[in-house]
Amino acid sequence: MIRHLFTLIWNRKRSNLLLIVEIVLSFFVLFVVSSLLVYNVYNYRQPMGFDYQNVWEINLNPGADTTAYNQKLQLTMQRLKATKGVIGVTKTSSNTPFSFSTMNGAYSYKGKQMPYNDNFDADDDFRDVMKLKVVEGRWFDHRDAASTRTPIVINTALKNAAFPNEKAVGQIFTDEKGEKEWQVVGVIAGYRAASDFTEDAPLSFRRRALDYDMTKKASSYELPVLLLRVQPGSGAMLEKQLIKEISNVTKGWSVTVNSLEQNRVAKLKFVLTPLIVLGLVCGFLILNVALGLFGVLWYNINQRKAEIGLRRALGATGAGIGGQFLGEMLVVTTLGVVLGLGLAMQFPLLGVFGVASGVYLQAMLLATLIIFALTAICAWQPSRIAAGIQPAVSLREE
Amino acid sequence: MNATTTQPHSASPSSTFATAPPMIKLTDIEKVYQTKTIETVALNRVNLSINKGEFVSVMGPSGCGKSTLLSIIGLLDEPTGGLLELDGRPVKSYSDKELAHLRNQKIGFVFQSYHLINDLSVLDNVELPLLYRAGVGGKERRQRAHAALDKVGLSARTTHFPSQLSGGQRQRVAIARALAGRPEIILADEPTGNLDSVMGEEIMDLLLTLNREEGTTIVMVTHDEHQALKTERLIRFFDGSQVQ
Ligand SMILES: Nc1ncnc2c1ncn2[C@@H]1O[C@H](COP(=O)(O)OP(=O)(O)O)[C@@H](O)[C@H]1O
Ligand SMILES: [Mg+2]
Repeated sequence: MIRHLFTLIWNRKRSNLLLIVEIVLSFFVLFVVSSLLVYNVYNYRQPMGFDYQNVWEINLNPGADTTAYNQKLQLTMQRLKATKGVIGVTKTSSNTPFSFSTMNGAYSYKGKQMPYNDNFDADDDFRDVMKLKVVEGRWFDHRDAASTRTPIVINTALKNAAFPNEKAVGQIFTDEKGEKEWQVVGVIAGYRAASDFTEDAPLSFRRRALDYDMTKKASSYELPVLLLRVQPGSGAMLEKQLIKEISNVTKGWSVTVNSLEQNRVAKLKFVLTPLIVLGLVCGFLILNVALGLFGVLWYNINQRKAEIGLRRALGATGAGIGGQFLGEMLVVTTLGVVLGLGLAMQFPLLGVFGVASGVYLQAMLLATLIIFALTAICAWQPSRIAAGIQPAVSLREE
Repeated sequence: MNATTTQPHSASPSSTFATAPPMIKLTDIEKVYQTKTIETVALNRVNLSINKGEFVSVMGPSGCGKSTLLSIIGLLDEPTGGLLELDGRPVKSYSDKELAHLRNQKIGFVFQSYHLINDLSVLDNVELPLLYRAGVGGKERRQRAHAALDKVGLSARTTHFPSQLSGGQRQRVAIARALAGRPEIILADEPTGNLDSVMGEEIMDLLLTLNREEGTTIVMVTHDEHQALKTERLIRFFDGSQVQ
C-alpha cells in the first residue's frame, strides 16, 4: 500500500507540486518563528545572574547646581546607607537593569578585537546590592584604588570569548590602538540585565569611583544613578523618608524612585509587544496556510470522488479510503518538510544571525512537529468525508 | 414477478447445481430514492434468482433501474426493502468491513465508462482489487495482473496510462481488472455502451469466453438486442419492475 501511495503521488506530481511548495513555504515561516521562539525561551530560562527583588533605583538630577557635587553625592549615599530599612547602596551608570540605555564597546586582547560587549560602571558595593555571583577572582575593593589600569570584572561569556583556556584574572585588555588598558580582577557568572529575554552576552563592569568632572556639563548618562537594596516589604514610608534624606543634603536636585520590579514589568511590556504582534501575524499566516491546505484537500477529494467510489467498489473500506488520503498527505508533507529542512539547514551552516545552532535544531524540530500537526488537522475532515463517500453515488454514469 | 425468458443453450450450467442455492437471489427487492422534492421508485419488488455460471443480460429503457439493480447485487448500495442473498446467505446488516471484503472477493465490476484511475498505469489499475486483498504480496499481484492483461490481449500496454488507450482498450483494461481479482460474479453495466460495434463485439466475446471457460457468473446490462440474444437468459425491465 505504501508503494501504491508513492506511485499515486509520483503520477500526480503536477498537482502535488503546488501542495509541496505551500508546505515548504509554511515550514520555512514556521521555522523562522520557531527559531525566534526557541531563542527567547532559551534566554528566558537562563539565570539572570542578579536579584532584582527589593532593589530600588534612584535617579538624581542636580539641574543647574554644580557646587560641591561629589561631596553632596557622597554625603547623600552615606545618609541613605544609614537609613533604617536600607541594606546597601551602590552608584552605577544609567544602564541599570531593565532600563532603555546601553553602553558598549569592544576590547582588544593581544592585538585582536574581541566581540562587542556591554559596559557598566560599578563601585565596590555593586556586587552585594545586586547579589552577583563571582566565579573567579574577586569583586572590586579598596585595593583597586591604587591601580594604574582600570580594574574590570567580566562575565563568563566574555572570558570564554577572550581566554577560554586560561585564567581570566590578571589579563589585560586594551583599546584598539593599545593606549588604554583594563585589567581583569574577577569573573562573574552572568548579568542579564536588559530584560528577561536578553542573551547571556559578553559584558564588563568598570570600577568607577566618585570622580565626576563637573566643570563639563553633565551628559545624561553621567547623571548619578543609585541602586538601593531595601528590606523586603519596604514601601511608600521608606520611599518618603529616602526622598527627605536626599533633599536635606541636595536642595533643589530632582529625585525619582522606582523599584526594579516596576522597571522589569515596563521593559517586559516593551519587549513582548513586538513579539506578540509577530506571533499574531504568524498565527494569521498559519491559519491562511491551514485554510489553503484544507481547500486544496477538499478540492482534491471532490475531484476524486469517482476514484473513491471505484476503490470502494473494488473492496476498499471507508476507513481504508480515509487512511489512504491521510497517508497521501503524510507523504506529501514529509516531502515538503524534507525540502524545508534542507533550506533551514543553511541557517546553522552559514551561521546566519550568529545564534547557537542548537536553537536552530530545536526550531526545526518544532516547525516539523507543527507542520505535521497542521496537515493532520487539515487532512482529517476531508479524509473523513472521503471515507464516507458511498460507492453507488460516486460511480453513477453521467 | 415472472420467470424470465431464457435462451437455453445446450446444457445449462445451472442444472448441474440444482441442489445448491442460487448464487444471487433477490426477494421483493425495493429501492426508493428520496430527494427533497420527489420520491423515485427505482426498483419495485423485484424477485430474481441467478445461478452459478449463468450469463444473464438485462435490458430495458433508460432510467428503469438497471444500474440500481446491479449496484444492489454488487453491494454498492442497500435496498430500501426486500432480501438479497448471496450463496444462500442473506446480505443484511453487514458491517462496512464485511461488505468491502465481499465486494473484493466475490464481485468484479465493469462499467460503461470504464472507471479507470487516470493517474495509474494500466498495470497498477489492474492490480487494484488485489491491493485490497489481505495476503496477496506485491509479486503475486504483479503476476496476476500480467496474466489478466494477457487474457484481454493487452500485455504490451502495461505501462501505458488510460489516456493513451482507445475506448475498447480501456474497457479491456477494466475487464482485466475484474479478472485479476478472480471474482465469482462479474457485473457489467453497459460495457459496450461507449464503443463502436466492432469493439463491442470484442468485449462481448471476452465476456462469453470468460463465462464459458471459467464458469464466471455474469450479469450484464445492455441496450444491444443482438448481444442480449447471445446470453443464456434475458431479463427485461420496465419502470422498476421486471416484465415478461
Ligand atoms: N442517487 C439517486 N438519487 C435519486 N434518484 C436516483 C438516484 N439514482 C438513480 N435514481 C433514479 O432511479 C431511476 C433508476 O435509475 P438507474 O438505475 O440509473 O436506471 P438505468 O440504469 O436503468 O438507466 C431513475 O429514475 C433515476 O433517475
Ligand atoms: Mg444505467
